[in-house]
Amino acid sequence: MDAGVMTGLLKSSKLIMVTGKGGTGKTTFACALALLGARLGRRTVLCEIDNQRPSCGAVFGRVPRFEPVDVLPNLSLSNIEFTGSLEGFIEQMVPMPRVVRLVLENKMVHRFLDFTPGSRELVIMSRLGALCDQNDLVVVDMPASGHAFSLLDILRSARGLFRSGPVRAHAEHLTERLRAATSRLVFVALPEEMVVNETLETMDRMAAASLIGGPPVVLLNRATLPSLTTDERSLLARLAEQPLDPVAREFVRAGRWEDRLEQATKTSVDRLRERFGHEPPLIPPAGGGGVPREIVTTVAVHLGRQVGLTRREVQWT
Amino acid sequence: MDLNPWLDRTKLVVCVGAGGVGKTTTAAAIALRGALSGRRTMVLTIDPARRLANSLGLDQFGNREARIDLSGMEGVKPGGELWAMMLDARSTFDALIHRVAPSDEVRERILANHVYRHMADTFAGSQDYMASEKIYDVAALGTYDLLVLDTPPVKNALDFLESPGRLVNFLDERVLSWFLDGSRSSRGGMMFGTSKVVFYLLGRVFGEQFIDDLSQFFRDFEGLYEGFRKRHQEVLDMFRAPTTQFVTVCAPSESSVDVASFFLSEFERRALPCGGIIVNQVHACSGQTHDAESVLGATARSLGGDLPPAVAASVVARLGMAHRRLHTLAMADHALARGLKSRYSGRLPGFFQEVPRMEDEVHDLPSLREVGRALFDQDAAPLSS
Repeated sequence: MDAGVMTGLLKSSKLIMVTGKGGTGKTTFACALALLGARLGRRTVLCEIDNQRPSCGAVFGRVPRFEPVDVLPNLSLSNIEFTGSLEGFIEQMVPMPRVVRLVLENKMVHRFLDFTPGSRELVIMSRLGALCDQNDLVVVDMPASGHAFSLLDILRSARGLFRSGPVRAHAEHLTERLRAATSRLVFVALPEEMVVNETLETMDRMAAASLIGGPPVVLLNRATLPSLTTDERSLLARLAEQPLDPVAREFVRAGRWEDRLEQATKTSVDRLRERFGHEPPLIPPAGGGGVPREIVTTVAVHLGRQVGLTRREVQWT
Repeated sequence: MDLNPWLDRTKLVVCVGAGGVGKTTTAAAIALRGALSGRRTMVLTIDPARRLANSLGLDQFGNREARIDLSGMEGVKPGGELWAMMLDARSTFDALIHRVAPSDEVRERILANHVYRHMADTFAGSQDYMASEKIYDVAALGTYDLLVLDTPPVKNALDFLESPGRLVNFLDERVLSWFLDGSRSSRGGMMFGTSKVVFYLLGRVFGEQFIDDLSQFFRDFEGLYEGFRKRHQEVLDMFRAPTTQFVTVCAPSESSVDVASFFLSEFERRALPCGGIIVNQVHACSGQTHDAESVLGATARSLGGDLPPAVAASVVARLGMAHRRLHTLAMADHALARGLKSRYSGRLPGFFQEVPRMEDEVHDLPSLREVGRALFDQDAAPLSS
C-alpha cells in the first residue's frame, strides 16, 4: 500500500474536505482523519456544515456547537451554523460591536441574505477560513459530491456577482486559501460501479474548475480484495449451475455474492488508481449493526498504521 | 396489502431519504412499473449527480425529456411509456420568468440583469426550487399519467418545499419596498434611523455596485410578485393533493433509518400525504444456520473431481463462512427494519415494504424490473394496523 498518501495528507495539509456519494461513510472518515490529525500532535478541529442534526457528536460524545468544543487532547468539534458564522462574518467587515448587533437584529438583513445568491455559502466558507487560522488542521465533513461542488464553486460566482467591496475581497481571499497546496479533497468511495462513476465525475468537475490546490485523495471503504483461486472460483461457478436444494443454494448465493464484491473491489481499485494517480487505501467492511464510535475507531486504527500510529496511540476511552 | 392498486391511483410519487440507500433506483423502478402497467410515466431527478441516467443505463441526459426505449421489454401494456428528465435549474428559471413577466420589456430586462444571471445559477436552493417548479409544469401539462420525483440526498428537511417560500418571502411587498426605498434614499432622503444605517452598511459590505444591480432587479421584479405567490400556492397544493404520495426510502443502516424517521415526522408536521416506507437493500437469508459440510460437502467433491482435492474443502469452508456472515447481516437488518416499522405502526397511513438486496448492481432495465417485482409482487404490511 502507498503509505505516502496518508502521511502527506495528515502531516502537511491544513484543510481536509471529505466528500463522496451519499452513504459511502463520509462522516466516519472525517471523524477518523480528524482523530489521526490530533494523535499526530496537530491542533485539529472537525467541522460539520450547518447540520441541523450533527452526526459526529455520537462518535465523540459531545454535540458540536458553533464554538468548537474540546473532546480529546488536540481535537475539537464545531458545527458551522449559519447564524453563528454570520456574526463572525459581519464582525470582520464592520469592526464596531454595537453596529454589528444592529445589523444582526435587523430582519431585513436576514431576508436580504436569504435571497442574495450564494451569501449563505459565502458566510459559511468564511467561518471555515477563520477556523483554519486558529488551528493546525481543519477536517470538514462535506455534503455529498454534487452539493460539495456547489458549495465550493460559490466563491467563483461570488467574484462575478460582487464586483467591488469587502465581500469581493473576502471571496478572493478564500479562493486563494482553497487553491493553496495545503487544501485537499478526500473522496470516500465504495467498490460499486455507480459510486466509482460519481467519484470520478465529481473529481473531474472539481479539477476543471481548479477549485482546490492540493491533489485529491481517494479512499475505498468496504473493500475486500479477491481471495479465491481460479480453481476455487470455477468450482463455485459449477455449484451455481447445479440444481440444489434451497438451503445449499443459499450457501452458494452467499459465496457468490462475496466473490462479486471482491471482484468489484479489484475493478474499482484499478479505475481509481488510474485517475487519482495513487493506490487507494482500502478499508475492510465493518460488519452489521456497528456502533458509530467503534466503526470510527476501527477505521482510524487501520489508517493510523500508515502514518506510524499504533492501535494504542489511536484508541480512546 | 397489495401495492399495485396504490400505484394505479397515484399520480405523483415523491421519493425522499438519505444518500446511498437506492432512492434513485427505487424511483426508477416505480416509474418503470407504472410504464409496464400501461401508463405514460415520467421520472424526474433533481440530483446534480448523474445517478438516474446511470441506473437507467443511459450515458447522460439533460433538461429535455428523454424517452427510455422499452422495446426490449416483454409485457408492456398498451400505452405504457417511460420518460426521464434531469433538471437544469437555469432554463427552468428562465421559463418561469417568461411565464410571469407582465411585459416583454420587463422580461428582457430581468433576463439580462447581472444579479438574475447569477441567481438563476447559484441561488441557494434554486435547484430544489426549480424541481418543484418543473414538476408542477410537467403535471400541469397533463401529458403524463404518472410522475415520479427523485429528490437530492439533503439531510436538512424537505428544502425543495421551502425554497419557493424563501423567494416569495423576499419578494413580499413590504420587504421589496423597504429595499427600494433604501436604495432610493441612500443618496439622501426618505429613510431614517436604523434602516438607514443598516442599508448603508449593506452597501459598504457587499459593494455599491451590487446594491445597484440588486435594486434594479427588484424594481423589475415588483410586478412579478403576485405571479410568484400564486404559483407557489399551486405547487404546494399539488404536493398536498391526495393523488400525491410521499415515500421514504432507507437502507438497513442506523443512519439512514434515522434520516427516514426524520422525514416521517416531517410528513406528519407538514400534513403531506404519506405513501409508505421502503427498506431497501435488505440482506435476505432463510434464517437457518447449517453446517456447510453436511449441506454441500458431497456435491462439491463430486463436481470438483478433476481439481486438486483441497479445492472442494476450501470452497465448502468458504461458503460456510460466507453464509454465516450473510446470516449475521440478515439478522441485524431484520431487527432494524422491525424497529422502524413498530415505531410508525398506527401513527401514519401507508405501507411498509422490504426490498431484498439485489445480487448484482442495478443499472439496467431488466434489473430495475426485478426491483419493481420485489416491491410490488409481494404483499406489503400496512402501517395503519
